[in-house]
Amino acid sequence: MSSDVLRGKLSVRGLNAWYGKRQVLYDVDLDIPDGGVTAIIGPSGCGKSTFLRCLNRLHEETPGGRVDGSIQLDSEEIRDQNEVFVRCRVGMVFQRPSPFPNLSIYENVAAGLRLLGIRKRDELDAGVLDSLRKAGLWDEVKDDVDAPATSLSGGQQQRLCIARALAVGPEVLLLDEPCSALDPIATTKVEHLIAGLKATYTVVIVTHNLAQATRVADHTAFFYLGKLVEFGTTDGIFHHPKEKLTENYVTGLFG
Amino acid sequence: MGRPSPVAGEEGPEIPTAPPRVSRPALLRRGTLLIRLSRAFHGLTGGFALGLLGLFVALVAVLARASWGSIFRYGPGFLSGPTWDPVHGIFGAWPFVAGTLVTSAIGLALAVPVALAVAVFLSELAPPRIRLALSTTVDLLAAVPSVVYGFWAVAVLVPLMAGTIEPGIQRTTGAVGPFSGHAGGLDVLTAGIVLAIMILPTISAVSREALSAVSRQQREAAMSLGATRWEATRLAVLGPARSGIVGAILLGLGRALGETIAVTLVIGDINRVPTSIFSPGQTISSLIAGDLNSAVAEGPAVYGALVELGLVLLLLTIAVNVVARLLIWRIRGGEAGGARHRRKHSRSSLLLAATPTDPTHVPVDRWHRRRAAALAQLPRRVRRRHRTYLLLAALCLAATVLAILPLASIVYTAVQNGGSAVVRPTFYTETQPAACNPGVLTPTCPIGGVGPQIEGTLLLLGVAALIAIPVGILIGVYLAEYGRNRLGPGVSFITDVMTGVPSILLGVFVLALFLRYFSNVATSAIAGSVALSILMLPLIVRTTEEALKTVPVSVRESALALGFPRHRVTLRVAIGTARNAIVTGVLLAAARAGGETAALILTTGGFQFWPTGLTHPIGALPLLIFQSGLSGYANWETDAWGATLLLLAIMLIISVGTRLLLRRAPASE
Repeated sequence: MSSDVLRGKLSVRGLNAWYGKRQVLYDVDLDIPDGGVTAIIGPSGCGKSTFLRCLNRLHEETPGGRVDGSIQLDSEEIRDQNEVFVRCRVGMVFQRPSPFPNLSIYENVAAGLRLLGIRKRDELDAGVLDSLRKAGLWDEVKDDVDAPATSLSGGQQQRLCIARALAVGPEVLLLDEPCSALDPIATTKVEHLIAGLKATYTVVIVTHNLAQATRVADHTAFFYLGKLVEFGTTDGIFHHPKEKLTENYVTGLFG
Repeated sequence: MGRPSPVAGEEGPEIPTAPPRVSRPALLRRGTLLIRLSRAFHGLTGGFALGLLGLFVALVAVLARASWGSIFRYGPGFLSGPTWDPVHGIFGAWPFVAGTLVTSAIGLALAVPVALAVAVFLSELAPPRIRLALSTTVDLLAAVPSVVYGFWAVAVLVPLMAGTIEPGIQRTTGAVGPFSGHAGGLDVLTAGIVLAIMILPTISAVSREALSAVSRQQREAAMSLGATRWEATRLAVLGPARSGIVGAILLGLGRALGETIAVTLVIGDINRVPTSIFSPGQTISSLIAGDLNSAVAEGPAVYGALVELGLVLLLLTIAVNVVARLLIWRIRGGEAGGARHRRKHSRSSLLLAATPTDPTHVPVDRWHRRRAAALAQLPRRVRRRHRTYLLLAALCLAATVLAILPLASIVYTAVQNGGSAVVRPTFYTETQPAACNPGVLTPTCPIGGVGPQIEGTLLLLGVAALIAIPVGILIGVYLAEYGRNRLGPGVSFITDVMTGVPSILLGVFVLALFLRYFSNVATSAIAGSVALSILMLPLIVRTTEEALKTVPVSVRESALALGFPRHRVTLRVAIGTARNAIVTGVLLAAARAGGETAALILTTGGFQFWPTGLTHPIGALPLLIFQSGLSGYANWETDAWGATLLLLAIMLIISVGTRLLLRRAPASE
């Protein structure tokens, strides 16, 4: 813990995670660089989603979920902080679009702001507007932000979820296979959005789509059977992998 | 796939022999026969499914026919008439309508907050380790027979109400208006409380189902925004589950409106409109339970009027249940998004967005400063929000404990009062002894047992099961296997609605039916069995249907691919796979029928001697509790408590046992 010179935005050390008795992550050490997009790749069941869910302490809310090890956000241990506070700083978007179905577009984005204690009408308006703009959704919904969130298309719903996560002002954004339920056009829009976000936010994206990792990510981590096999620049992982296992995976020999 | 590889160490690869050759015409003949059988099976199950619709229509029609005269004679004034005086031919049903509405309203008002708190606690807030044990216990409340609730209420709740609670209420309220009058314990308030206890498990179980139908991801999405567990529940769960929760409340209302025996025992049995919550009164169902049998002898006027009241109650409960089921089905159909979204603050000011300039007055950088300030204050706010969460979790836990208390008290009281009876061998073999006067149990009291009632219950259940199990399973098979047409969903829906029809009305239906067509056996074992079988039928149909639907398509398809005809796939493969769940459904249905009292009061005549045949009156355990529990004879009452303990033990064993059965061998994933 002494060589803190090159520590990233998120610094993971000796991370183990379990579902009940089954261990799904083994001794993961990883520094996620500040800014830019880091992709987590690996075959199904390799623990990449669990890893992501550890980063905002969501894994421990799962029945049977248990975590051991250290995760530091800006050199502060997240397990020593209140989980609500951690989740405000580390936002998350899920695989299937999950807007609150009984709330309007506006209220979906405002939900997190109300939790922060922001109640004034014009402040909420400014926050919702700002977040919808950042998520590239504003132009599509500005005529009726009071429409139900479920009236949007799948891709729009996913961008709404990103707007909702951005509204509370996170520094890190976790995306858990955000495009796997979307069609190619919607996927492209979300990928462009990610590219635009990485200037302001540290983005971590789990994807099973290798091509997507090469398109959006600056860095890539390859997980296999709960262990981090290799981490490096995306170019390095895909073109000059150091590990045989990584090479076999990225060239499609297995997975 | 591939060639069979030779196995090392064996005599050498086995040479596959050609399958026995069947001549083409023989195969064709057999195929044709099987196809005919399949069609016949489809037709048979479909016929029974139509029969269920017919039964539902008959339920309404028979009651309407039997009360025709009354409906025409008294017209709409029947319901609003304030006086019920059969001796002088005055039939005004308002006292009972009012009694039913008042007790149900009290029951609902008390049960809903507690039941929702229980549901939220068990589904969202409770630590996973205690969830299963607590939810099983709460569900057991639903397995306790109505007569046991009533008997317990008279023994424990009524003295408590009369001695402590009601005087306390009168002191704090000044005993005016709805709190005025003599508070004697046997009144609409007590009836409402008993109803609340009884409908609580229904409301909480169905609400819990609605809550858990909301996907985990919704909760996690809320928590990822920094919501505490309670805030995640409020934000992501309660909204989408709302229509299911309203459905659950309506189902509870339906039960409260039709609940009979427990209410009959504590409401005070006075045919007057209640003027305060401490007035004794009468509900529609308690009046029918008390008076219908004697009305048959008193003549068609009283009989018709009582059946007309039954018809009113039937239509009311059907309407409530139809609405409830429609709301619940919407949830099950995965249309949680169909719930109307909240248009908070009517319209947001962002609607002005169509204008070219920025729609808000707050510039982005000021907004960012505001959010940074809010984030800086967050640690302090979080402590307060966390306290709110803990407080609510504690309240919900308290509600759960409160909900379980009656069950604990019932078991304790039954063991205390009936324990001495059930350990006596004669309890199971002897008939009811001569009454012991006065009402104190002394060594000189004659001792007997409840042998005839045990035999009666078994006989009634056996015959009812013989009717209900095959018919119920066939209809369930139709709904699961062939029901993707216009008939299927309709029958499913009607089946759900029928589970909400008060059992007393099934008794009225069977009595009216038998009086019209088989009047010599109108009160007999066979009439009682028919009533119980109608009670069991919808439960068996639904569990069979649900169980079969969980059998994976791949299992069916692989059987079909082997050349099994459709009906054999259903009978052998699907039912085989779903067997445990079907057995569970049958057992639970039998448990409900075994504790049923209201329908049997009307149809069996209540009989204290050994059963003499299907066409004769017959006794049953719940009837014995109802009839001798409050007789005032000490030895009879002890036996009634023994019978209570026995019923309770059987119900609880079946409820817990079936859960274990299902958990050990799940039908499928």
